[in-house]
Order: sequence, then structure tokens, then C-alpha cells
Amino acid sequence: MNFKGTLPTLILQALTQEQSHGYLIAQQIKDRSKGVLDFKEGTLYPALHKLENEGLVESFEAVENGRVRRYYRITKAGRAALAKDRAEWRELSQAVTMILGKA
Amino acid sequence: MTSLETWLNQATRHLSIDSAAQVRSEIQEHYQSALEAASSSGASAKDADQTAIAALGDAKLANRQYRRVLLTSAEARLLRDGNREARFVCSRSYARPVYLAISLVALCAAIGTLHSGFLDVACAFLVVATGTGFMFAAPILPVYTPLCARVVRCFKWLVLLSAIGFVYGPNTLKWSWLLFSCLGPLGWAEWTRFSIRRKLPVSQWPRHLYL
Repeated sequence: MNFKGTLPTLILQALTQEQSHGYLIAQQIKDRSKGVLDFKEGTLYPALHKLENEGLVESFEAVENGRVRRYYRITKAGRAALAKDRAEWRELSQAVTMILGKA
Repeated sequence: MTSLETWLNQATRHLSIDSAAQVRSEIQEHYQSALEAASSSGASAKDADQTAIAALGDAKLANRQYRRVLLTSAEARLLRDGNREARFVCSRSYARPVYLAISLVALCAAIGTLHSGFLDVACAFLVVATGTGFMFAAPILPVYTPLCARVVRCFKWLVLLSAIGFVYGPNTLKWSWLLFSCLGPLGWAEWTRFSIRRKLPVSQWPRHLYL
């Protein structure tokens, strides 16, 4: 399932616990949704660049197992944006549940 | 050519050299991690490669998304060459008063010809005065914030459109084909600058992006 427009929020959520690189972020999202949220990994990086342009995440290079990797971490503005997105999502999902629950 | 190379060639089409290098580096890194994960779960090299490429998805879709967030080759060119007029005005100390004098002379000529009753000639002089005045004054205006920059840009377009309306008057629509062809390149450059502003953080904006 690919719920359009939620990828940036899912990325921010994946980065709340710890800084991470692209591959790990993709795997975290897939694992935590038990494979339900399946997106094409090539679209992850444009979303990460967009978040970086907006100042919601920042990137830096670090060496892991002798390989230079680009890591991403959430910024203060990113945490604020995530809190807002989370509240909006809760409101939306409650509304949809109320309607679908009655059917 | 490997399947990854084919994917990368499609995904980096029309991106600037720097953007393409960035995409290549991050996707190669991602692909390598996917290969390692597949190999550690016992997949053959061929299967691991196919799984990793399939997980990346459609390269054309990725390219469309990359072009929305990273600089394209056309934008990088505009960014590199777009500063020429500002440099031309600002790098010569003697030049500024000379350029501004051109505008003042044109303004005086407009007033003079208007007094003499040559309305058409006065209009032409007025357009030259406002156009050159703005073009030469803009690079030396104290515009250092995005809000200020937005006001200056709005004023620039307002002056330009008013000048056109003033010169052509009721015949503006009749001459629209000429206006569109003359203003087309200007509009395209402005649209490209708008796109660059969305992609670059304000701290990285060169001077000409403000104007």
C-alpha cells in the first residue's frame, strides 16, 4: 500500500529515535508497518532532499564499516512539523473510522 | 552497461552535474546496502541485483521527483551565468553613476518631449528611463531578505507591465504576439529563478536570486 503524501511524515518519524541513513530508513518504515506500507526506495531520496531543503532534516557524512555514508537527523523544526502532522493524522483517521465504523 | 547504471542514467537525466553526482552516490550506497542484505539472506548475486533494482522502482518517476528538489542543468546554468549584469554594474566603481545618468537623461528627455507635444516619443523615453533605471539600480539596492526581495520583484513586474500598458495603451492586446515573444525569455528566466529559490536554502542564494 502506498498512501500518497505520507512518506515525509514517515521519514521524520523514523528519524525521531536516532540518526539514520537512507537504506535503514526505508527498512524501518517497511518493518514497522509489517510490509503494508511498501514504497519504491528510489522515491525516498527526493523526499529526503525536500525535507532537507525545508530545514526539517539535516545530513552529514559518517564512516560505517569503512564506507562513507550520508546520515540524516531530524531538526527542531522537523520535530515541530512531525507533531503537527501526527495531530492532523489522528484527527483524520478518527474521522474516517467514525464514518467507516458505522457502515 | 549494468542494470544499476541504466537506472542511474534515467534517474539523473537533465540534472546538473553536481546533482547527478549526488544522486549517483546516494543510490549506489543504497544499492550496495540492498545487495549486502540480499546476499546475507542467501540470495545469488543475480537475484540480489534484481531485487535491489526492483526495490528502487521506476527510474523515470524518481527522475521527475529529483527534478523537483535538485537543480537541473538549465537551472545550474542560469545560476552560473545569471549574475553577469549584477557583476557588470557592481564591479566598476565609475560605472554606477554613468548607468544611472543614462536613466536620468532618458527621464529628462521624456519630460522634454512631453512638453513639446511628442507623446509617442515621450512614452518611449519613459520606458527606457524606467527599464534602465531599474536594471542598473537593482543590483545596488539593499535587498538582503526574502521578504524584501519579494517586494522588489513585485515592483519590477509592476513597473514592466505598467510601462507596456502605458506605451501600447488600448492596442496592448493587438500587439500581444510581439509582447509574448519579447517577454517569453524574461518570463522563462523568472520561472527558473522561482524554481531555484524553492530548491536552495536562503543561505545559499546568490545575490541575483533576490532580484
